[in-house]
Amino acid sequence: MRKIMIPLIALAVAAVLSSCGKGGGSTIKIGVLYNLTGAQASLDGPSANGAKLAAKEINAAGGVLGKKIQLVSYDGKSDAETIGKAAAKLVDSDKVVAMLGFSDTDMVMAAAPIAAKAGIMFVTSGATSPKLPGQVPDYLFLACFGDNVQAAAAAEYAYGELKGKTAYILIDKGMEYTMLLGKYFKERYTELGGKVVLEDFYQTGDKDYSAQITKLKAQKKAPDLLFISSGPDDVGTIVKQFRDGGVKQPIFGGDGYDTPLLVQVAGAGANDIYFTTHSLMDAAAGSDAAKKFIAAYQAEYKAAPENAFAGLGYDTVKLIVDSIARAKSTDPKAIREALQTTSALPGVTGSITFQPGNPIPQKGVALIKVEDGKLSLASEKAPEKVPAP
Amino acid sequence: MKFPAKGKLVYAAAGAALLAFAALVVAGGSGYAERIFIGLAISIVLAEALNLFNGFTGLFSLGHVGFMAIGAYASAILTLPLQAKASNLPDLPAWLAQVQLPFLPAALVGALVATLVAALVGVPLMRLTGPYVSVATMGFLVITQVVLANWDSMTRGARTFAGVQSLTTPVNAWIWAAVAVYLVLRIKNSSFGRSMRASRDNEIAAESIGTNVVGQRLIAFCMSAFLTAIGGALWAHFICAFSPKSFYFSQTFSVITMVVVGGLGSILGSVVGVLFVTVLSEILRYLEGGFSLGPLAVPPVYGASQVIMAIVLVLVIVYRPTGIMGESDSGLASLGKALGRRMGAGGANK
Repeated sequence: MRKIMIPLIALAVAAVLSSCGKGGGSTIKIGVLYNLTGAQASLDGPSANGAKLAAKEINAAGGVLGKKIQLVSYDGKSDAETIGKAAAKLVDSDKVVAMLGFSDTDMVMAAAPIAAKAGIMFVTSGATSPKLPGQVPDYLFLACFGDNVQAAAAAEYAYGELKGKTAYILIDKGMEYTMLLGKYFKERYTELGGKVVLEDFYQTGDKDYSAQITKLKAQKKAPDLLFISSGPDDVGTIVKQFRDGGVKQPIFGGDGYDTPLLVQVAGAGANDIYFTTHSLMDAAAGSDAAKKFIAAYQAEYKAAPENAFAGLGYDTVKLIVDSIARAKSTDPKAIREALQTTSALPGVTGSITFQPGNPIPQKGVALIKVEDGKLSLASEKAPEKVPAP
Repeated sequence: MKFPAKGKLVYAAAGAALLAFAALVVAGGSGYAERIFIGLAISIVLAEALNLFNGFTGLFSLGHVGFMAIGAYASAILTLPLQAKASNLPDLPAWLAQVQLPFLPAALVGALVATLVAALVGVPLMRLTGPYVSVATMGFLVITQVVLANWDSMTRGARTFAGVQSLTTPVNAWIWAAVAVYLVLRIKNSSFGRSMRASRDNEIAAESIGTNVVGQRLIAFCMSAFLTAIGGALWAHFICAFSPKSFYFSQTFSVITMVVVGGLGSILGSVVGVLFVTVLSEILRYLEGGFSLGPLAVPPVYGASQVIMAIVLVLVIVYRPTGIMGESDSGLASLGKALGRRMGAGGANK
C-alpha cells in the first residue's frame, strides 16, 4: 500500500506545483462561483454552462479591450464555508476584476460580502431576493428580476386570467427565497381581492407532505388554486404527492420550479402547473435570442439548455463584459460605474436596464404552463404593481 | 528522538505534501493564506476540546458539534449590531434586541450557555457506557439541530444567518488555540486527568479505589463543551454566514476525523490531525477543479475531494488504528527532553 501512496502523493505535488505558476497578465479574469454539487446543482450547473458558452463566444470574437477573458470557476458545493474560501481565493490569488454566480440568496450572502470588502463587484445571475442589494450595498447587482416582481406577476395572472378567487399557500420556511416569494405573492394576491384560505409551511428537504395535504383537504371550502413556494430540489416531490393525494387545482410557483426535476420527479403529476421564470427555453416558441442561444448551447453541450438559468449565466457574463467594454478599463470601480449605467442590453432572458441607484434590473416575467409534462408560454409581461421589498 | 513511524519514504511523502500545501498557500494570496491560518487555529480548538472528552474518558461523543452550534449562534446573536438585529431577527425578545456585546464577552456567554446545557444533558448521559453514549450524544446533536432550525425568532430557523461581524483575527484565534492546547495538556497530566484515564482503562478497578467516575466524566464533558463552544464562536465570526446545517453530521465527521487520525488521547496528535486533514483537503480541493500535468490534462471531477478524503481516512484507520501519534505524547516528551539536554546540565528530568 505504501508503495502506491508515495508515487500518488508525489504526482499530486507535481500537479499542484506545475499548475501553480500559471496565469499570465494577458487575460482579464472574471470569477465564477456556482454550486456544481449539492442541492442547488440543478440550477447552478446550467448557469455555469451558460457562462462558459458566453466566454467562449466573446473570446472567439476577439475578447474585450484587446484581451481574452478567462473565467476562474470554483464549485461552492452548496456549502457556506467552501463558498467563503473560494471567494477569498478569487479576490486575493486569482485577482479577478469582477465576480458572478449563484441562483440562491443564501449562497450569495456567503460570498458577496467578501467581494465587497475588496471592492470587487458581485453580479448574481439567479438569486432573486430584492433585499440583497440592501445587505451588500454598492457592490452587489442582480442580473435577474426580484422575487417581488415575479410573485406579483404570478398573483396577477392567478387572479386576473385564471379567475382564482381563493388560494392555498405553502411555503418552505428553510430558505430566504421561498419565504420572501410567498410573502410577496400573498401581499399582491390579497391586494387584488383574492382570499387566502390557508397558509402552511414545510422544511427544505422534507420528504413527506401528507400532513400538509390532509390539512388542506380538511378545509371546508377547497381553494381555487395553490401557491407552493419551493426550491428546485423539493418541487417535484411536493407536486407528485399533492397530485397523488387527489389535489387537482392549478399549482403556481416561482423560478425554483424551473428545473428538469419538476417533470422528472412529478411525472404524471406535472399537469396544470404554472410558474414564473426568466424566459422560456423552447427552440420553437422562444424569442429569437433564446432560439440562437439554444442552438449554440446544443452545439456545445450536446443537450438543450435545462432551464432559464442557463440563459441567466450566459447573460451575466455578457453583462459584465459589456460593462468592461464601456468602462474601457478593468478597474473594479470603473466597472461598477459602467454597470450602473447599463441600458437596454439585449439578453437571452430579456433586456437589462438598471435605473440609477437601483441594482435590480427591470425585466419581464415569463409565465410558463406545464401540461402533461410539456412546457409552454402562458404569458409574458411585467406586473402592473409590485410589492415593496 | 522517537519518531512515530518507521520508514523514510513516509516522511518524504509528508514533506512533499507539506511543500505542495505551502505552494498552494503562497500562490493563494494573503487573504487565502490568512483564512487557512485562522481555520487551522479554530480546528485545533475544536479538536483539542473533543480530544479532552473522547480521548481521556474513553466515551466517544458524536454530539459535540451541538455545543459548537450553541456557542456559534449565541455569540453571533450577541455581537450582531442593533440595526442588523432589527432587520434579520425582528422577533427577538426585547431584552436581547437591545444588547450588543464585543467578541470576547459574547463568546464567553455562548460558552457558558453551552456548559449549562452540557451539565443538564450530561447528568443522565454520563452514566451510560460504550456505544450507548455515542448514540445518545448523536441524539443530542439531532435535538440541537431541530431546535435551531425551528426557533425562528432567535435563529432565523433554517435560513442562513448572515451579516455576522468578522471578528475572528489570526491573533485571537491562535491565542485560543494556545489556550486550548495548554488547558488540555495541564488536565492530561494532572491527577484529575490521570484518574480519568485510569477509569477509561479499567472502570471497575478505578471505582474500587473510590474514584467518582460519573462525576469526573461530567466535569470533562462540561469543560469540553465550553471549549467547543468557544471554537464555535470563533468559527461563526470567521465564516460570517451559516445555518443549522453547518453544524450537523458533515462538521461532526470533519472534527472526528482530525482527532482520530491524529491520535485519540494525544495532544500533539490533535494538532497533527488538524494539519493532516487541512493540508489534504486543500490539495484535493485544488486538484478536483481539474489540472494539467505536462501533456496530460485531467478534467474537473467535482465531489472527488470528499470521496478521496473518506478513502484516506479508512486507510489511516486500517494501517494505523491508533492514529498518527498514537495515544502517547512521547513525541512531545522526548522533544522536551532533547531541548532540555541541549540547554545544558540544567535540563529537566521528564
